[in-house]
Amino acid sequence: MPETELIAARAISRRFGDRLALAPTDFDLRAGETVALIGPNGAGKSTLLAILAGALQPTSGTVSAQARVGWVPQRAALYRRLTVRENLDLFRRLEGSGDVDALLDEFSLPGDVVASALSVGNRQRLNVAISLLGSPEALLLDEPTGSLDPEQRVRLWSDLESLPERGGAICFVTQHDDELPRADRVLELRDGRLVA
Amino acid sequence: MRSASLIFRKDLRVLRRSPLLLGVLLAYPLVIAGLVGLVAGYASSKPRVALVDLDRLPPTVVVGGKSFDVQRTIDQVSRNVRLVRLSQAEAERELANGEVVAVLTVPRGFVADLVGMVRSPVLTVELAPGGLRPRLEQQVQALVYSLNRQLQQAYIGTNIQYVRLILHGGTGSFLGREFQLLGLDGAQRELAELPPDPRVEKLRDFVGDARLALGQTDDALRATANPIQLERVNDKGRSWLLGAQVQAYALAVTLTFLALVLAAGALAAERDENVIGRLARGLVRGRELIAAKVAVAAVVGGGLGLTVALVFGVIVEAGGVEGGEPWDRLPLVAAGLLLAGGAVGAVGALVGALAREARAASLVAVLVVLPVVFLGLVPREIVPAAGWVSDALPFAHAVRFFSAALYDVSPWSAVVRETLWLLGLGGAFALLARASLGRLTG
Repeated sequence: MPETELIAARAISRRFGDRLALAPTDFDLRAGETVALIGPNGAGKSTLLAILAGALQPTSGTVSAQARVGWVPQRAALYRRLTVRENLDLFRRLEGSGDVDALLDEFSLPGDVVASALSVGNRQRLNVAISLLGSPEALLLDEPTGSLDPEQRVRLWSDLESLPERGGAICFVTQHDDELPRADRVLELRDGRLVA
Repeated sequence: MRSASLIFRKDLRVLRRSPLLLGVLLAYPLVIAGLVGLVAGYASSKPRVALVDLDRLPPTVVVGGKSFDVQRTIDQVSRNVRLVRLSQAEAERELANGEVVAVLTVPRGFVADLVGMVRSPVLTVELAPGGLRPRLEQQVQALVYSLNRQLQQAYIGTNIQYVRLILHGGTGSFLGREFQLLGLDGAQRELAELPPDPRVEKLRDFVGDARLALGQTDDALRATANPIQLERVNDKGRSWLLGAQVQAYALAVTLTFLALVLAAGALAAERDENVIGRLARGLVRGRELIAAKVAVAAVVGGGLGLTVALVFGVIVEAGGVEGGEPWDRLPLVAAGLLLAGGAVGAVGALVGALAREARAASLVAVLVVLPVVFLGLVPREIVPAAGWVSDALPFAHAVRFFSAALYDVSPWSAVVRETLWLLGLGGAFALLARASLGRLTG
């Protein structure tokens, strides 16, 4: 039985002016797998993830998604003057589905605190929680643990690791070698090209 | 448009949680309006004029039998300027350093000429150079005109006394010398006692005609002095500060500043919050995002504008002044505020889309507001190009809409015309903003 491709990208590339951020690249994310994307800064990892997420238009190539896709950008994407609950509720309404109370419980987030008052760790957890609204089957995470201490990293991964087990998939960018064992596949990007 | 509604409500909530920003947004246009008022007040304020008295004016001067209190007369005629008594040297120094704008000198012999009534006394005036000169000339001329108006009554009175003396006879004086005059009445009596004679008849006819003619001298003299008289009736209507045009401008300035800065800042803030990538993933379309920002600008700008209109209405009512319909036309003004707020908000959205960063967008928006406002203030008769540019921006149309809505007896043609302008401009700027936004993160 063939593995289900939740996201399939063909020959996607992206230019920013004269600079080639991502050379034409093929990428598949299959159900049940966890993929790690590694590479030096400026290699094109965030660009690839943003294109896969539909947040950035590729200069060329196509992306087809057979599943609901969640995206966790590297820098927290939330409204700092809204409370945690208001952020979740707004994006729930925009997504059209999601359980705010369940996410607050699952991520142990204080619902009535304004997002700007959250610790860095909680802000990142809220960033991830927002991405889980709409019940995504494929989750794209751009350095989700970059600014977290070891304990917070473990806690965050424990919130996410069940997704592939439920038939979903995770693709994450990381700079931490100790997170690579979580991945079924490790892909390396250099100068906008997949090298491994 | 459900997504636009959600973003719109989110923006209002965020704005409510930013009291400092909200305070600045409310206060800034009011401060600007106040400064404009102060400048306008300065433009109509009394310039300081030095009075150099070389003739040592006495406290009282008698002209043609009429007594003038010199200081009171000066106070009465110098309503448009502030006269300050200075020595000649002080006056020259203050004129040179700009402390006074003109020096009015009363030369030696002035009072003698004035009292003698044989030749016109002369005042000399020295004006500071610069842009105010034409206005100063006007005000000094107004001062001399007012002085002449006071004196002419005395001069006319004196001349009429002489005429009456010729008519009725009696004791008179001229240049300090007293004399006795027979008068036409006396001449007529003397002629009546003479025996009939053709030459005596001629003299009688002449005296009769002269008496009739001189009997009309009072009115003729007054008419000669004032071919056209200006009669001042009771003051009514609004003061300049409550004038229709000023209210329309105050509303438009407040609305333009708020709507432009709000829309620009709110759109650019989506990038600052890094949320625009999330929204771009099919959650909110570009046109919905623009619509949300335009709606925020319209509602918040319109709300504050309506408050300003209400305050004006209360002041107008409390002042008991006539003209305008501050209450009956309020719904029309409210509609105009929303419409103009939306059109200006579309300009703000364009600024926000181009600036891409909230602080830059706010700064650019503030920088854009003042030229937009001043372009709308330049009379198109003086600089036609300014009028054309102004027509391509919502401010001038907002001013015309508010002016018509508040004060025109038949406002509908102007309201419809400016509504079409505002809709057209709002749509055009919204399309430009949408195009500048690209694919949100494209």
